[in-house]
Amino acid sequence: MNTTIAQITYRGMLGSRRVFLLLGLPVLLLALTGVLYALASSPERVTILLMERFGVAMMLPLLGLIVGTGVIGREIEDGVIMHLLAKPIRREVVSVTKLIVAASLMALFGALPIFISAFAMMGWEADVALGFAVGALAGGVAYAAVFLLISIVTRFAVTVGIIYALIWEGVVGTVAPGARDLSIQQWTLSIADAVSSSAFLKSQVAPGFAIPALIVTTLLATILAGRRLRSLTLSGSE
Amino acid sequence: MSEPSGVIHDIGYRHYDGPRHGRAYARTALFTNSLRGAFGLGRPAKSKIMPMLLGVIMLLPATVSIAVMALLREGPLSYTGYAVTMQAVVAIFLATQAPYLVGPDQRYRVLPLLFSRPGTPTDYIVAKVAAIVGAMMIIMVLPITLMFVGEIFVNPPGPLHTGDYLRGVGGAFLFAIFLGTVGIALASLTPRRGLGVASVIAFYLITLATSTVLSGVLESLSHDTASRWTLLINPFMLVDAIQVWIFGSRPALGIDYPSGAGGPVALLAVLLLIGAALAILVNRYRKAASS
Repeated sequence: MNTTIAQITYRGMLGSRRVFLLLGLPVLLLALTGVLYALASSPERVTILLMERFGVAMMLPLLGLIVGTGVIGREIEDGVIMHLLAKPIRREVVSVTKLIVAASLMALFGALPIFISAFAMMGWEADVALGFAVGALAGGVAYAAVFLLISIVTRFAVTVGIIYALIWEGVVGTVAPGARDLSIQQWTLSIADAVSSSAFLKSQVAPGFAIPALIVTTLLATILAGRRLRSLTLSGSE
Repeated sequence: MSEPSGVIHDIGYRHYDGPRHGRAYARTALFTNSLRGAFGLGRPAKSKIMPMLLGVIMLLPATVSIAVMALLREGPLSYTGYAVTMQAVVAIFLATQAPYLVGPDQRYRVLPLLFSRPGTPTDYIVAKVAAIVGAMMIIMVLPITLMFVGEIFVNPPGPLHTGDYLRGVGGAFLFAIFLGTVGIALASLTPRRGLGVASVIAFYLITLATSTVLSGVLESLSHDTASRWTLLINPFMLVDAIQVWIFGSRPALGIDYPSGAGGPVALLAVLLLIGAALAILVNRYRKAASS
């Protein structure tokens, strides 16, 4: 962890136009929560629908995409990364610092609004809010780590990320059950299900598989990211 | 104060007296180049992978449908619903290619060079919008055309769906002009490729998720009419509602849209959004031209 790199990365993320995308999603989630709260008399099923479809299926991967690629992708795109890599700082330190920044942003813009929204709907009832907050935290860190790795590996990081989130987790996951085992979205739901006692929340993957899978994915992505940074080549233009 | 004494020497550069092609030529050149670029033509091999892959994925259901017509003697897939069924692929195509059309010109400061020639910002916008609309048309019309040709040759039982096919082409034009204009306006706001792709896909994912959640909740509370209205938040459903209203086609996903005012309101919304997108573009490039 290098505080200077962290500081610069925070400034890059929060000081640019990217912050509107980051802020927009939580604001929309809370607005939607307000509308649904006014409509629903028994909010449990509604809350879970909102959390699953909006929070976990859409907001988390999208935030992960913006954050994970944003913390390093724009520096690679600009070539500014060369100045950073030319300094006598271990590459692993660079990648871990970037991941910590990304993870903290995921917690701030992802897990926290998800908790507030679910808590506003249901309070502590059936631990739904807690479950989704813990799940979103773990899933958010995993998304950040994976998308960070992808943006070091390829210039088309956002595109690859979209295809993973939309095609693999979305389309393939609903058609081929096997694909669900390899989906951060399903792991997130599995953790939420394990924490919460709600009967409406049923995940497809056992927590005994999901938790180790999340940890392994995050660690592996971070280690690989550090290794790839050692031999980064900047390819040319469009 | 002495008189200015500067002299311009003729150092023998030759003048250009060949034909000058003017605005229309510049516009066409920009359009052709952009349309080719949207499919990776004239770009490095790596840039060809994504659009070609998405194009092939778009063709898959059509191919399967031809096989089904031939082997099981069943009718083709819905021509008007094709783009709605494949909306994820269409959205990814738009999100990956729209930023390419407008991003590099801003990133590498090409705009001042373009605007110092006869072509104006309006020409630039017209060319770019036409290119993305054309590219979207190709990606949506090609599969249904393949399917229609397949239907002609296989000739499954029942009448030929010529009307449906033509309605599908008309619908594809609606989809292309709406999604293309909005997508390119969003993409034009940033010179960065990553951010451009992310903001276009964010637009699609946010509207999709909002529409799914609201319509699902409202339906479970048996507010059926309100639930149908919230379907229209999804841009693909919005255009499909217009198709249903104008062409009398069946709703693509089998869920009814609001009857009565639904179609006209959807058309109005689409026109307003296209207008807003064009306003963003004009504003963006007027600024670029004057800086």
